[in-house]
Amino acid sequence: MTVIHYVNQFFAGLGGEEAADHEPVRFDGPQGPGRALVAAGLPIDLTVACGDDRFALHEADCLATLLTWIEDAGADVVVCGPSFGSGRYGYACGVLARELGRRGTAVVAAMTPDSPGVLASEGAAYIVPTTAHVAGMRDAVPLVASLASRLASGEPVGSPEEEGYLPRGLRVNIRSDELGAERAIGLVLAKLAGDVRTEIAPPTDRVAPPDPLPDPSTALVALVTEAGCVPQGNPDRLPTRHANVWLRYPIGDRAELAPEDYVSVHAGFDTTEANRDPDRLVPLDAARALVAAGRLGQIYDEFFTTTGVDTPVAVSTRMGQEIGVELRNAGVDAVILTGT
Amino acid sequence: MGIPTVFITALPTIAQMVGANRVVRGVAITYPTGDPSLSAGDELALRVRILDRAVDMLATDVAPRTVWEIDG
Amino acid sequence: MSHTRADLEIAAFAIDEVVEGTLTGRDGATLLVASPQLAVGAGEPALAEATVEVVRPGDRVRITNVLDAVVPDVRADDPTATFPGVLGGSWSGAPRPRIHRLDGVTVLPVCDWRAAGLVGPEEFPPSYVDMAGPGQDRSPWGSTANIVLRCVPARGASIADADAAIRRAALKIARTLAATTLDAVTDDVRRVGTLADADPGLPAVCAILQVASEGPLTDTFFDGADLRDLMPKVIDPAWLTAGRLTNGAYDWPGVRNTTANYQDLALVRALERAHGDTLRFAGLILAPGYLDTAEAKRRGAEASAALANELGAAGAICTTFSSGNSHTDTMLTVRALESRGIATTALVCETNGGLTDHVVEADCLVSTGNEDELVPAWTPDRIVGGGDGEAGRAIAMVHYLGSCVETGDGPWTAVPA
Repeated sequence: MTVIHYVNQFFAGLGGEEAADHEPVRFDGPQGPGRALVAAGLPIDLTVACGDDRFALHEADCLATLLTWIEDAGADVVVCGPSFGSGRYGYACGVLARELGRRGTAVVAAMTPDSPGVLASEGAAYIVPTTAHVAGMRDAVPLVASLASRLASGEPVGSPEEEGYLPRGLRVNIRSDELGAERAIGLVLAKLAGDVRTEIAPPTDRVAPPDPLPDPSTALVALVTEAGCVPQGNPDRLPTRHANVWLRYPIGDRAELAPEDYVSVHAGFDTTEANRDPDRLVPLDAARALVAAGRLGQIYDEFFTTTGVDTPVAVSTRMGQEIGVELRNAGVDAVILTGT
Repeated sequence: MGIPTVFITALPTIAQMVGANRVVRGVAITYPTGDPSLSAGDELALRVRILDRAVDMLATDVAPRTVWEIDG
Repeated sequence: MSHTRADLEIAAFAIDEVVEGTLTGRDGATLLVASPQLAVGAGEPALAEATVEVVRPGDRVRITNVLDAVVPDVRADDPTATFPGVLGGSWSGAPRPRIHRLDGVTVLPVCDWRAAGLVGPEEFPPSYVDMAGPGQDRSPWGSTANIVLRCVPARGASIADADAAIRRAALKIARTLAATTLDAVTDDVRRVGTLADADPGLPAVCAILQVASEGPLTDTFFDGADLRDLMPKVIDPAWLTAGRLTNGAYDWPGVRNTTANYQDLALVRALERAHGDTLRFAGLILAPGYLDTAEAKRRGAEASAALANELGAAGAICTTFSSGNSHTDTMLTVRALESRGIATTALVCETNGGLTDHVVEADCLVSTGNEDELVPAWTPDRIVGGGDGEAGRAIAMVHYLGSCVETGDGPWTAVPA
């Protein structure tokens, strides 16, 4: 069997944060934690690695390279991580897992249960839950090695409860004895009789509403948008779709966002009317009016922007968390977010 | 504790589904805080009204995934 | 609100075998097809080519670029009234309309828009029917004998003209094939439309059929006219059987409706069968999906709910058309119905990322499957319809025509792994 291991720049021994921009690279045999996996009984034939930032900013290119290497090597199973609590590393593991899943390759990963990589993987990987810190390596390795060996050799793998990996949340298709139309009639008659049943449970990942602003007239409020509003010429080349980056631009003394200065590059809607007045997307002029009227304290002197088209929830989550850190550090009290 | 955020969008049910807690229903997909059918003065007044509502919501203790109309 | 329904008879003729020859006709359960003749009948200036090929279940063939599926139907009492509007005739006024239908044969129009230069790359997702292999049972038309009408638009023809020509050609062939039964009788006859009186103690249930019409190659047609300005309205279920509603939407084959779905809508069949037994079939509402603004979506949802109320419905079943923000229209309709105390079920397709949209009131959902699930790779012996058909690669469920259709016409559903 052929086993391939994906790690980031740190675990590949390429360096820490300063190497986060490292291009994809491959090594024969195990690297870093791969050696622990070998010691646990999982031989590793090839290690592929990529800088976490490089993956985040150049996802398509990095994926193409990594997938080609993995395919050329004829992987029976790919192990991604453990990425522990790292958001970007976890995200990369999740996305790689998802793409390998689409190609029918088995994947085992390991990360904290709330890592963005869990959502990003869309159920493609068997994910071993870990602690946030690398101290959890010793606990994760044996289960990762065991799952990966069995997947590679086609042996059966038990349920999440039996084995200890995270529920994959997969929904698989089966042929029912009844057509959907017949089941619909059954469900509505049951509901009319007081028996409410469903074939799809409602979504469950939630954040509680933050406490309200005690006094908006003193609040520092930031403007954030997914409408793809950028300076004319899109100088930093915000993608029109599949954006996995967000940008920030100074507002300075501007009373409004003028059409000669700003444009929307969002590929998901007709931007004609918005481009005649970008305040229709990022309402700076109205925000200024509220400050002048004493309704709001201050507008933060940058706005944050991305394009929300074909953006996976996992990417949006990561970007939101990152923008949130910036806003928290800047002492922003509240956010007005606009979307299309 | 998170930063209170109000999301102005013309598709509030999608916003609710992904867990947005404070949502104001925007005007249209193509201009959440605008309305080209109005004169410039009326449009700005509408935009101020939308933001005023949004600020009200930021200052209100809401149940999870609450949607407000522009005129409540 | 009283609502008259036409009294339509539908006579079905089973076909076990399709044989190609020099004449088009029928011999018992064998359909004879003169392929070159059928295609020449197309005679459309907007088409450079129209060829007919017969493909059968079990053939190691993948049909690609499939636009639609059409059941062979003819108005036996007035063949010119078959598929009203599109084929020139009209529905009006016949006292005893009668349809003759072939079971076991389907017309599949096929066109590679991209090769014709009429759409950009990746604008239209692949659309397949596999006649064998692991994907065969993902589409209902992997199990019927298929008359594949392969069309090539004429150079310089507009998309709208080419599309209208393809739809006419396909429906004409469907009529021609069904017309081989005009002199025949069958035991398999049923009435649609008119309903017997039913115990008023039974709950009244209506159905809301969502369609979408957003421009050429993404339209739905009623009597041949597009439904771009559709607002919810009550329609006679018999109109669907009569071929008045036809499909011109060709994207996301697994989740949007086909003409064949409209001709033989399982939801209407099942409600008519249950009428007088477990429920009263209160009526059918045709409603638009993909309305453009929040306000329009809300108005549409309210209008559907108001009609359901007028029909006296205690319960409602909502279908969905395709993926994306039509799911918001479905969810808002559920909300509007529930706010009037009408118990509602909706049919939606799932993705690997869960539901596209959801409201708290949508506590009673039918899953028509997971559109992202991969069907194992297959290498057919032949591709019919152009392109490489992604032979040898795993294919997502959504690319099989009719696989997860959210009208409830199929058996597929998703369960936890």
